[in-house]
Amino acid sequence: MHYPWWYVPFLTAPMLIAIIAVIHVIVSHYAVGGGLFLALETQYAYRTGSRAYLDYLKGHAWFFILLTVVFGAITGVGIWWIIGLASPLATEVLIHTFVFGWAIEYVFFVIEIASAFIFYYFWGRLRPKTHVQIGWIYAAAAWISLVLITAITGFMLHPGSWPGNRTFWVGFFNPQFIPQVLARTGGAFLLASLYVYLHASIKVRDPGLRDLIAARSARPALAGSGLIVLGGLAWYVFLPASAKAALAAAAALNVLMVLIFAITVAVFIMLYLGPYRNPGWLSPGFAILLFVFGVGAFSTGEFIREAVRKPYIVYNVVMGNQLLVEEIEPAQQRGFLETGTWTRTWMASRYPQLMQGAEVDETRLPALPEDDQRRIGQVIFTHQCNNCHSTQVGYSALSHLMRGWTPELIRSVVGHLNESTFFMPPWVGTPEEADVLTRYLSSIAYPRPGGMEPGPGR
Amino acid sequence: MAILKVLGFTLHLVPMNLWFAGTLLAMSLRHNRNEHARRFSHRLMDQMPIIVAAGVNFGIVPLLFAQVAYYRVFYPATILMAWPWLGVIAAVILAYYGVYLYAVGLRSGRMTPVRGAAGWVGAVLFIAVGFVFSNAFTLMTNVPAWAGLWQRSSVAGAPVGTALNVGDPTLWPRWAMVFGLALMTTATYAVVDAGLFARRETEAYRRWATGFALKLYSAGIVWFAAMGSWYVFGTLGADVRQLLSGRGLVVLTALTALGPALPWLAIAAARRGITPVRALTAGFLQVVVLALNATSRQIVQNAELRRVLDVTAERLNVQWSPLILFLMLFAGGLVLVGWMIAKAVEATQQPATAKS
Repeated sequence: MHYPWWYVPFLTAPMLIAIIAVIHVIVSHYAVGGGLFLALETQYAYRTGSRAYLDYLKGHAWFFILLTVVFGAITGVGIWWIIGLASPLATEVLIHTFVFGWAIEYVFFVIEIASAFIFYYFWGRLRPKTHVQIGWIYAAAAWISLVLITAITGFMLHPGSWPGNRTFWVGFFNPQFIPQVLARTGGAFLLASLYVYLHASIKVRDPGLRDLIAARSARPALAGSGLIVLGGLAWYVFLPASAKAALAAAAALNVLMVLIFAITVAVFIMLYLGPYRNPGWLSPGFAILLFVFGVGAFSTGEFIREAVRKPYIVYNVVMGNQLLVEEIEPAQQRGFLETGTWTRTWMASRYPQLMQGAEVDETRLPALPEDDQRRIGQVIFTHQCNNCHSTQVGYSALSHLMRGWTPELIRSVVGHLNESTFFMPPWVGTPEEADVLTRYLSSIAYPRPGGMEPGPGR
Repeated sequence: MAILKVLGFTLHLVPMNLWFAGTLLAMSLRHNRNEHARRFSHRLMDQMPIIVAAGVNFGIVPLLFAQVAYYRVFYPATILMAWPWLGVIAAVILAYYGVYLYAVGLRSGRMTPVRGAAGWVGAVLFIAVGFVFSNAFTLMTNVPAWAGLWQRSSVAGAPVGTALNVGDPTLWPRWAMVFGLALMTTATYAVVDAGLFARRETEAYRRWATGFALKLYSAGIVWFAAMGSWYVFGTLGADVRQLLSGRGLVVLTALTALGPALPWLAIAAARRGITPVRALTAGFLQVVVLALNATSRQIVQNAELRRVLDVTAERLNVQWSPLILFLMLFAGGLVLVGWMIAKAVEATQQPATAKS
């Protein structure tokens, strides 16, 4: 633990990452797919001379810019903010590995913002050819930003041979790169069409124009669904074994996986029967339903992508307990409280009698009164377990997970964390530290629900 | 790396200064008796949504390189004040949409009380965001304060993220100093806007804008000098002051302090008749002032940190091929953006063919 751990009651700090990330991807994929939609359709509208369609596209471009250029951009910065707060060690690794990846992304952001504003604010004043060219510049820049950031998210799930050869390009072209680019590109196509349907179903009164919009956006949406399935399958094939096992082992992930495929199939069928075959079906209710399904699938997909990384933040590089993989063994020998900069400082300020010089002497822990042992156990819990578990109430609360557990059972599990559950990091600490953590956990574990037969121990 | 950070920060400072002081100024002038003042307020707020969107994106590079170089202090400092720091995201989103609502009111000619209030909300939030940023970057170098803040706001040794660096004497003058600099940039913007973009405005407006800019810039200089003196002579450590006045840096320090005189003179010259060249000269000189300021701040930051951490001693592992690719794409990107702007400027000469 090089950095302080931010205590967020109920949710846990990493859940804030998930919340902001889900909000962001719902807009950022539209920022990519919507750019392609605007470029392609503006070109089509100019070619066919459809004034009504051009007017609609201008209205859509306004909605698009209002949502993506600021809300999408700021929530993207928000992800950066929150990962630095909730996962500083992994962020440090990512920043140092991909600093110029992000710098290149910045170049494309600037191109995006300039082209988006010029595309919209000079609508009707630019020559059609130039207008379309600027639309395509936006679309290309936005897609390249997607590719760049996907390399980094793919790296977190499976950095490939990077741990042995720590260069930018080895990390960039990781095994998850192409699968995730395919899936996210498909997602961008699909989500853009769903936004278009939502917007058009509410704003467009002319049935002919609405049918045209429905039909024009159906093919990219269907192609997007196909890419999602293709990318999703490749994603699964190139998952590390631990992630595949986590998918199979966790009941919640099983359900979510089924859900995401079911929703994708449902969206595909609805798109085929609706906008593709029967454009006239596009009503606000139908569009809202499609949109809700699409957003549901996206949110589920992001949650699964985050969840299967456990026990790592960056596979085989950074553990969920905020330690580098190579730091685990030395930390197990030195002790957890001693290893962490902030835990060691806390011990020195509260329990100077346990310090031997500047170091924490864990062998003195058993001599402390029980209350103090629990308090120190809570410090270990906060810094080693709170990444994934809240205490009594909230996300994956340990009080509920340990219902009815005896202190002996808790002590045994603590000592064999990654052996009993492969998607947990190994226990890091001395036996004395495991004892004080057990004291704390025993104090917060809820009793076994009454009335259950057979009772415990039978 | 430091060059990229300073360059990126300078680019970010231009729009950031405009929303920091400009929004508050424009909102204050919206009911001014002088019609030109109201027109200036209108023009600035009409452009503010684009300024904010550009500024947010320009902020990415300096923040990126700050994390690369100062990660050992950046993360702990921001974690100690995690909620206010995270609140910046919500505040900027709200401020942007506040400013946007206000701009919609301006453009449509229907300024409802809600739209008017939204503009004020945006102005206040931008000031608050500046306060949080000043907190974060002063706390980053104020390592001795960490223990106290952490002990006062933690659960089982884990900070709850509600600390602010308000006990740091450098915080207040630094925050205020940036406001002075922002007033100067806003004043320069008034000249650049009058000289380059306000061709459809009356000659009287353009004359008023340059006169107003000179007064505003003068006020900004006085404010900046007062707060800068408080910051340098009242709060910085003797070691840092000595460094700034030492043989190696005295020229830079003097240029940073006296640099604002150049845009002031350029604005004064523009009063004799605003032309695009004079406007651009004033704008360019203000960017130089901002760059000098960013460089000096970088030096002060390193000097303050040197008491606990030598960031220059960090082992460098230069990624040459991504660096070269970045520089090539950066250059290519500038050309592309330049081409698009040229097309946009060319288009302004064409009559509108679609309803805007």
